[in-house]
Amino acid sequence: MDRSQGVDQAVRVEVYRLFVELGRAPVPAEIAHALDLRQDAVEDALRRLATDHALVLAPGTPYIWMANPFSAIPTPFSVEVGGRAFFGNCIWDAMGVVAMLGGSGRVRTWCPDCLDPMEVAVSDGHLTSEGGVVHYAVAAAHWWDDIGFN
Amino acid sequence: MLLFRSEEHAKAWSQRRGLPMGALMSPQQQWDLARIWYADRMSPDWRRRTPAEAEEVFATVGFTGAFWKLTRP
Repeated sequence: MDRSQGVDQAVRVEVYRLFVELGRAPVPAEIAHALDLRQDAVEDALRRLATDHALVLAPGTPYIWMANPFSAIPTPFSVEVGGRAFFGNCIWDAMGVVAMLGGSGRVRTWCPDCLDPMEVAVSDGHLTSEGGVVHYAVAAAHWWDDIGFN
Repeated sequence: MLLFRSEEHAKAWSQRRGLPMGALMSPQQQWDLARIWYADRMSPDWRRRTPAEAEEVFATVGFTGAFWKLTRP
């Protein structure tokens, strides 16, 4: 592992640690402070991670948009885990937040067709809610063509 | 990836938007996929799956075929 790969790994791990700690996406200055790195080094690492599809930056900025499964912006997929609140990027990611943070929690969303509220509940790794169907509009090979749409 | 009340709701929404029907899965399948997919995301050792590895995960939860294909023939 060369130096930039080591920095990228440390930055990526810190992004997730801070996301959980803060309940929101960290900004580059916070990551730099936590890792005792220069801010421009952190921003360079974030850009490399985005190029590798390890996370997504808000267009034209060094700010995190997605550190999947987390979303830095509000979405129709709110997640509650252990009294903490997060947003997922889609239903897959919202369930991913629950899975990643211990396997118990709930996802609240709406049916996009009728706008009825819907909920997915998980307890100790087991799905406890019923009903609903998950729809994928875009084939897997094209997910990264427009990651915001997915 | 969206959660609909039923397949009929997904069809109606897709038709209104001029989108192909795509693929459907149950919440249980989606949960199984999410658990596998994100199990190691916070680990320092995480790395992005290769297309072949991702296809293996899809197959584990029952998804094979052209819609889930990432590797070139």
